[in-house]
Amino acid sequence: MKEILFISGKGGTGKTSLTSSFIQLADNCVACDYDVDASNLPILLKPQKVSSHDFSAGYTAHIDEESCISCGLCAELCRFDAINEEFRVLPLSCEGCGFCEKICPVQAITMYPRSSGHWAEGMFNQKHKVFFADLRPGEENSGKLVAQVKTMARKRADTEQTPLIIADGPPGIGCAVISSMVEVDLIVLVTEPSLSGFHDLQRVYQLMQLRGIKGMVIINKWDLNPDISQEIENWALNNDLPLAGKIPFSNIIVQSIAQAEIPATNPVIRKMLFPLWENIIEQLTVV
Amino acid sequence: MQIAVASGKGGTGKTLVSTCLLRILGDKNSVLIDTDVEEPNAGLVLGQAVQKTTNVSRLVPEIAPRACNLCGECAEICSFNALVVLSDKVLVFDELCHSCGACTYLCPLRAIKEIEHPIGVIEEAQLPGYGTLLTGRLNVGEAQSPPLIKATKSQKATSALRIVDCPPGTTCAMIESIRDSDYCLLVTEPTPFGLHDLELSLEAIEMLNIPGGLVINRWQGEESELTALSDKTGVPILGRIPFSPELARAYMQGQDPLEAMPSLHGILTDIFNQIKGALS
Repeated sequence: MKEILFISGKGGTGKTSLTSSFIQLADNCVACDYDVDASNLPILLKPQKVSSHDFSAGYTAHIDEESCISCGLCAELCRFDAINEEFRVLPLSCEGCGFCEKICPVQAITMYPRSSGHWAEGMFNQKHKVFFADLRPGEENSGKLVAQVKTMARKRADTEQTPLIIADGPPGIGCAVISSMVEVDLIVLVTEPSLSGFHDLQRVYQLMQLRGIKGMVIINKWDLNPDISQEIENWALNNDLPLAGKIPFSNIIVQSIAQAEIPATNPVIRKMLFPLWENIIEQLTVV
Repeated sequence: MQIAVASGKGGTGKTLVSTCLLRILGDKNSVLIDTDVEEPNAGLVLGQAVQKTTNVSRLVPEIAPRACNLCGECAEICSFNALVVLSDKVLVFDELCHSCGACTYLCPLRAIKEIEHPIGVIEEAQLPGYGTLLTGRLNVGEAQSPPLIKATKSQKATSALRIVDCPPGTTCAMIESIRDSDYCLLVTEPTPFGLHDLELSLEAIEMLNIPGGLVINRWQGEESELTALSDKTGVPILGRIPFSPELARAYMQGQDPLEAMPSLHGILTDIFNQIKGALS
């Protein structure tokens, strides 16, 4: 089983439009959305939910008002300013470290498991499995939820002998992206020809290198700026990143997204993306 | 006044709005704070050289091997599995540590002290006539951005106008970025993705009890779903930036968006006046 991850660094470069299309082009795959705090892949794949599961990670402190003697030690020691002047816990600030519970002289503090969101398995096109999740707004632990989605997807691919996992990644280079990269065989960097697109691409590439994962590049909307597009191409060449292809700005893709449709359901887009998919698959056989 | 510019979805135009707002409204005491520390872009748009760089670290434990008797208490205490006690030493995994300080405080033999683990930098750039740009830049490979966001926001805390260019998403990094703001401007786009992620951002600002308003970017006339969401939540639509290929092209090249779309000046001034009105 092999896993392909689509990431970009910068948000809004077209990861989900393209990932959904390649999922459509793949004969047999398990699909995954690792962008757990703004999950958009299901909007296009429209899966039927097979199962949904609560996800809790970490803890939140609770102070029992009856037993609290207002000594203030917990508020003084808390590094996250999560205990206010009235000695109440602010759940959005609490990291769940449990320091307060351990030092409270009257044992007035208890740590409770924290519900961080849920993850789900769904089915689309009657046969393909998709795994996705929703982190509750304001939660941390997105890395752990990504890991959960990944574990379940890989297990499913394993038991059903699905040869391929195609994953839509989160923006950025932080915990969720780091977690997305675990066990990945090939990363496809989806970029756009803008100064920020190129800058963000280089940072996510550095992260990829730290993790020792091979990659390739897609320049989306390349014709909006042929100069920067050429610069990105040269850079990719110098950094041993094969170009999977360049995609021109397309109103058909914009319209597909507006209607919440997978762009590759349109025959023109399907034809345009097919060679890119072949390049990706070919690269996957050599990594 | 601190205005956070956030979005939920990435690539909707947060940095466009925040940099233009600063250029229109800022004076020499204003600050723009780029808290998208994973991928900071405001500096690229404003194109000013960084004059000062400050290192930011967080604290992680270091065990003094001679003082440690391998009792295992620290590993027991740590909620993040950042400490592992072996038969001859204690391993510390900096990347798992949340810098809570519990192990150091509670070690029975006082064998732990805290040392600095670098996580990134704060870059400061002076902008001609309209203030200062503070950019938080996370080291590549570092997983936790909130401590750096907090440190970046703690700079120049008394400025009369502070605009915060927030990271995408609605996790702890976004919360840390919008925290303590007087107002949160949510930049959205009229697509199913924009709408879905906006709903989550609205939940986040409601949790923090921050008043908010919407800006529809790449507006092309159709906005019924966004209007419905605005009506439902009571969060007003403050302005619309029309879709413009010229603006997109100019902005991608790092050219001045206010020149590429002259009407942007009026749109953003009007948005700011509405924010002032809402806060007074």
